[in-house]
Parts: sequence; structure tokens; C-alpha cells
Amino acid sequence: MELSRPWQILRDVVAVLVTGLFMFPILWWALTSIKPISAIFDKDRVVFFDFVPTWINYGVTMLGMSRSQLAIDQGIGMGVGGAEAYDSRRSIIDSMVVSVGSTAVTTVIAVLAAYALSRMAFRGRATFLNWVLGQRFMPPIAILIPLVTIYKTAGLRDTDNLYMGYLGLMLIYALINLPIAVLLMKSFFDDVPKDVDEAAMIDGATRIQTFRKVVLPMVKGGVAATAVLCFIFSWTEFLLSLFLTTDIRTVPVKIQTFVTSTGNEWGFIAALGTAAVIPSFIFILLVQRHLVRGLTLGSLKE
Amino acid sequence: MASVNVKKVFKKYGDVEVVHGIDLEIEDGSFVVLLGPSGCGKSTLLRMIAGLESITSGTVEIAGRRVNDVHPKDRNIAMVFQNYALYAHMKVRDNMSFSLQLAKRPQAEIDEKVAWAAKILNLEPYLDRYPRELSGGQRQRVAMGRAIVRNPAVFLFDEPLSNLDAKLRVQMRTEIKELHERLKTTTVYVTHDQIEAMTMADKIVILRDGVIEQVGTPLEVYDHPTNLFVAEFIGSPAMNLLRGAVVKDGVKVADGTVLPLPAKHKAKAGQKVVYGIRPEHLKPSRKGSKAKVVVVEPTGPEIHIYADLGGQEVCAITDERLVLARDDMIDLSPKLDKIHLFDLESGKALA
Ligand SMILES: Nc1ncnc2c1ncn2[C@@H]1O[C@H](COP(=O)(O)OP(=O)(O)OP(=O)(O)O)[C@@H](O)[C@H]1O
Ligand SMILES: [Mg+2]
Repeated sequence: MELSRPWQILRDVVAVLVTGLFMFPILWWALTSIKPISAIFDKDRVVFFDFVPTWINYGVTMLGMSRSQLAIDQGIGMGVGGAEAYDSRRSIIDSMVVSVGSTAVTTVIAVLAAYALSRMAFRGRATFLNWVLGQRFMPPIAILIPLVTIYKTAGLRDTDNLYMGYLGLMLIYALINLPIAVLLMKSFFDDVPKDVDEAAMIDGATRIQTFRKVVLPMVKGGVAATAVLCFIFSWTEFLLSLFLTTDIRTVPVKIQTFVTSTGNEWGFIAALGTAAVIPSFIFILLVQRHLVRGLTLGSLKE
Repeated sequence: MASVNVKKVFKKYGDVEVVHGIDLEIEDGSFVVLLGPSGCGKSTLLRMIAGLESITSGTVEIAGRRVNDVHPKDRNIAMVFQNYALYAHMKVRDNMSFSLQLAKRPQAEIDEKVAWAAKILNLEPYLDRYPRELSGGQRQRVAMGRAIVRNPAVFLFDEPLSNLDAKLRVQMRTEIKELHERLKTTTVYVTHDQIEAMTMADKIVILRDGVIEQVGTPLEVYDHPTNLFVAEFIGSPAMNLLRGAVVKDGVKVADGTVLPLPAKHKAKAGQKVVYGIRPEHLKPSRKGSKAKVVVVEPTGPEIHIYADLGGQEVCAITDERLVLARDDMIDLSPKLDKIHLFDLESGKALA
């Protein structure tokens, strides 16, 4: 549909406003991360751009530098102890391990399940699909307390064994991600006509060969999109990670510890927060095209 | 190459029976078209031959071997689908050689077969393109290439041309026919387009609601339809069909007009019948049945006259350059030896 000129302009203005509204907090966060303490905590005015940028917050959180030393080197602020507590390198590794692990598990299971749901007729398929979706309606907090108990009994907490702790988090993230991942993957498989499977079978392919050599390569964009979505969820998840682990501190949980009884370290919070956006941002850029198609669940064509 | 035998085949989806006992013999090397309106079970029958759909009861034999429980890949058939079903992530070359790759044929043989198929189908310049970089007609040819490289015993086509525009359809029709002349592979071709069926088939099988209505060569089914359904379905513009009762010297229709019959006919006096006459056998004449002109459509070689005859609209075709306007009265005469009579109740032709 062609819009008339005034409507076009209005549409563009609204689009810019909405985007600005959503982008502003991120911009503010990024700004805060490079502000010196004096600019963050200026009690007389809001500082926008007139400050001397500093990398101290990144240095401390991402590189494990000592804050007191940096502060003295750069001649700003007073030295504060306890720099160790702000070194987030271990958290970044924890988050990476858990997110990549759970994404891999989820993607493999979701791709296989979705192919079956899309292609094979079996008793209770529709019910199963609804049930899968139903899982997603449950808020994690509703199952949190039993889950902690189950994890403790099953030895999936990091208090006993660090590796079991990683495994535990991967498992719960995989479980939470599976419904949406299965549905998303199913919509991608549904977009590939069944005739293609049949053509491959007539060409002499077995079911497995049809899946591996024909259908899977045709949905690889969809697989990437699904994986990114799972990754982002695991990367940003806070509640379960907070309750199920003690030693392992994923990035969101780590950031929360910067809110202390002696004050909020806004600079560190902003630096780690900004840095944490970057992987998601890159992945989203890479699979954007497929995501839009997948999330409309196949209702748009090309 | 092989013959295909379909014996008493039934198909049920759950409790719904959609194919009701089909018997069909397809000779080695022939081109058979399954023709029928949408939903009549053409695809279902074809897919049962291909092995993509289970057979509820009855047998399908290919080259004399019962194949009911044989996997599609072991039936030695190739199929071309309506939407081409190409492998989007593979180049044209790989689309065509996929079956040979799976069969682990030597690379030299694969290259040779692909080159041969590409030459026949004029696909040589496109071998290194992806399907998305091809036009509809080229994609259709790739789908055919994929089928012929394997040198199968039977080709199955399911409405392969219905996604193409009219002009391309005519061109591809000829190409498929030529391909068949050249390879002489037994072919089963599904379509709902009667022109396609008429022009391509050695034998047409007309289906309705999961039952065969008539089997015959294109001219047989055109000239001697055995029932009303076939008479109506084949031919464009369709055969004129007028209900009436047999009287002494003809068939009396609703408004009392008596349409002439040849001296010898099989109908009994007073029998309720349908009087059928193809438009090209109904001509304006000096003395015939009175009709009132409704629409005149000149097509170039001929003029199609739609007129009201005995309370029904009929079509007559003439190559005379008549100047007619709406509401003009004309006389129409059927060619006596081209009249079809059908029993009104059973719909069967009174031969
Ligand atoms: N999987 C299915 N489940 C239930 N009924 C089906 C199924 N597939 C086809 N049918 C029914 O079987 C009948 C025959 O279908 P079929 O696809 O063979 O028709 P067709 O002659 O090929 O029609 P078209 O020209 O529209 O392709 C139809 O009434 C259809 O509704
Ligand atoms: Mg069909």
C-alpha cells in the first residue's frame, strides 16, 4: 500500500521517536560507563557530554586492574580498596560457558524435535505441540523453590562440584529455551515444502540423508536465528542463575553485586552492562533477516 | 522402461474414502494423462504409484512386480512436482546429480549423465547457478533434468506446468512431449487442464470423485464420451447439453422446441434424455431451430455465437462472417451424425 506524503513523514517521525525512546537508555548506559565518578555523581546537574572520558571502569571490570592504582595513575578520585570484587573476567567466562553450552544443547534437540513435528504424523502431535508451548507460560519464579531443592538433591549445584554447577545451569536454560526454540524451528521447517523431502526420497535418500543433506541445509539461517535467541536468553538470565549457583557468577548476577551496602558502583555497572550487550548485538545483526521471518512464524514470505 | 498396473486400488484417509477401486493398465512406453477436476484424487493415485502415499487396498505393479510395500527409492521411478521441489541450497548441477551421488556412481558417469541431460533440456549455461537464480520455466526444466538423469522406468508428473504463464505452458508442453518421443519412458501425467491432456496424451484417464469415468485416446473421449460428465468436461467451449424427452421426430425441450435426431437412434419414445451437440457441430442455417442471440465473440478464425435456444443458452461456432447483434433471431442446425444422446437419469451415453 502506498501512503500519501504526510502519512509517510508521520510514519518516519514516529519510527525515529520510538527507536530513540528504546535506544536512549543504552546510550545513557554507554555514556555512564566512560564517565569519571565526578560526572556520574554530579549533584548539581545532569552531565551529558562535557566530561573527560575514562576507561577506568572497563579496566577494572574487564581487565582486572586495580581501581586504586588506576585512579592514582589518572589523577582522579581517591583510591578505594576491594578492587578484586569488581574483576568480572571469571563471570564473563562463566556466562560464556553456560550460554554456549545451553545453546548447543537446545539447538540440537530443538532442530530434531521440530523436524519430527513438522514432517511426521504421529499420535498426539497437536497435543504435544500445545504442551510444549504451555511450558513457556510458566513463570520461572513459580518453580524456583522446588527447583533449588531438586538441584540440591540431584547434586546439580556448584557447591558440591563446580562442573555439575555449569551443567545444572545449562540444563535449566535448555529446558526453558526449548519450547520457543522448537516452535521457531518448526516454523522454518514448515516453510520448506514437503515435496522437497519427497523428491529427495524418490532420488534415493533415506530419512536421515533427507534431513542432513537436503532439509537441514535449507534451514540453516533458521538454525542460526534460533541459536542466537537461545544464547541471548541464557546470556541475560538472572533469577535462576542467582538461586541455583553460588560459586559460578554469570554476568547479570555479577553486576548485581556491584550494588553494595556502601554504595552503588554505577560506573562498573554501566561498563559491564554495556560490554555485555555487545555479543548479543553482533549476533542479532548477523541473523536479523531470519529472526524477523521466524518470529512471524512463517506468515511472511520472503 | 516398464508397464504400470493398478488393480482395485482404494485409498482411505481415516474414515474417508477418496479413491474407490481403480483399475488401470498403463502400457510400457505410453504417455497416460490422469485428468479430472480438483479434488478427484489424481494426485493421490499418482502418489500411490510413487510410493509417497500408502495403499489402503489393492495392488500397484511396476514392471510386473508388486510394489505396495517398496520404498519410493526402490521403485525405479522419478517424479516432477508442481512447485518443482528443487534443492534450494544446491546448484543446478548438484540438483540433477543428487540421486547419482546417493547411489555412489563414479564421478565420470555422473558428469556424463548431467551433461547429457543439460544438453537435452538446454540447461548448459545454467549448471552453476542456484535455483533461485532461474526463471520458472528453467526451474521446471531442472526438475525434469533431475528426473531424467536416473533413466527411470516410469516418469510421474503432478501438474508440472500449472505454475507457469500461459505462453510458457504451451512451450513446455511441447518440450515434455518431445522428451517423451525421444526417451520413450512410460509416463503418468496429472493435470486438470483438458487442453494439456488432449495435446499430450496417448491415453486419457478421466477421473471424478475417486472413480474412473472413461479411458481412451484423446479423440475417442472427445468424439465418444460415454457419459455426461466426460461430455461436459472435455472440450472448450463445452458441449451444449439440453434436457428433453424423445418424441416422434426428435427431442422436445422445455419450451416445446423439437430438436432433430438422425433416423437411427437408440432412444425409446418418451425417454427423458440429454441432447448433446458440440458448438462446432451447431451451425447457423437457413432453416433450423429458432434461437435468440445473446453474445457474439469473434476469435479470428471463427465466431462463437451464444444464443438462447429452447430456454437454454447454447454456443454455436461458425467461420462465416455473420453480422449479428443481441436479440437477433437466427436458425441453428445441428450436424445430425454428431449428436450425442445421454440418459437423463444414469447420465450414460445411448450409443
Ligand atoms: N492427507 C489427506 N488427508 C485427508 N484427505 C486428503 C488428504 N490428501 C488428500 N485428501 C483428500 O483426497 C481427495 C483427493 O485429493 P487429491 O489431492 O488427490 O486431489 P487432486 O485430484 O490432485 O486435486 P487437485 O487438482 O486440486 O490437485 C480430496 O478430496 C482431498 O481433500
Ligand atoms: Mg493434485
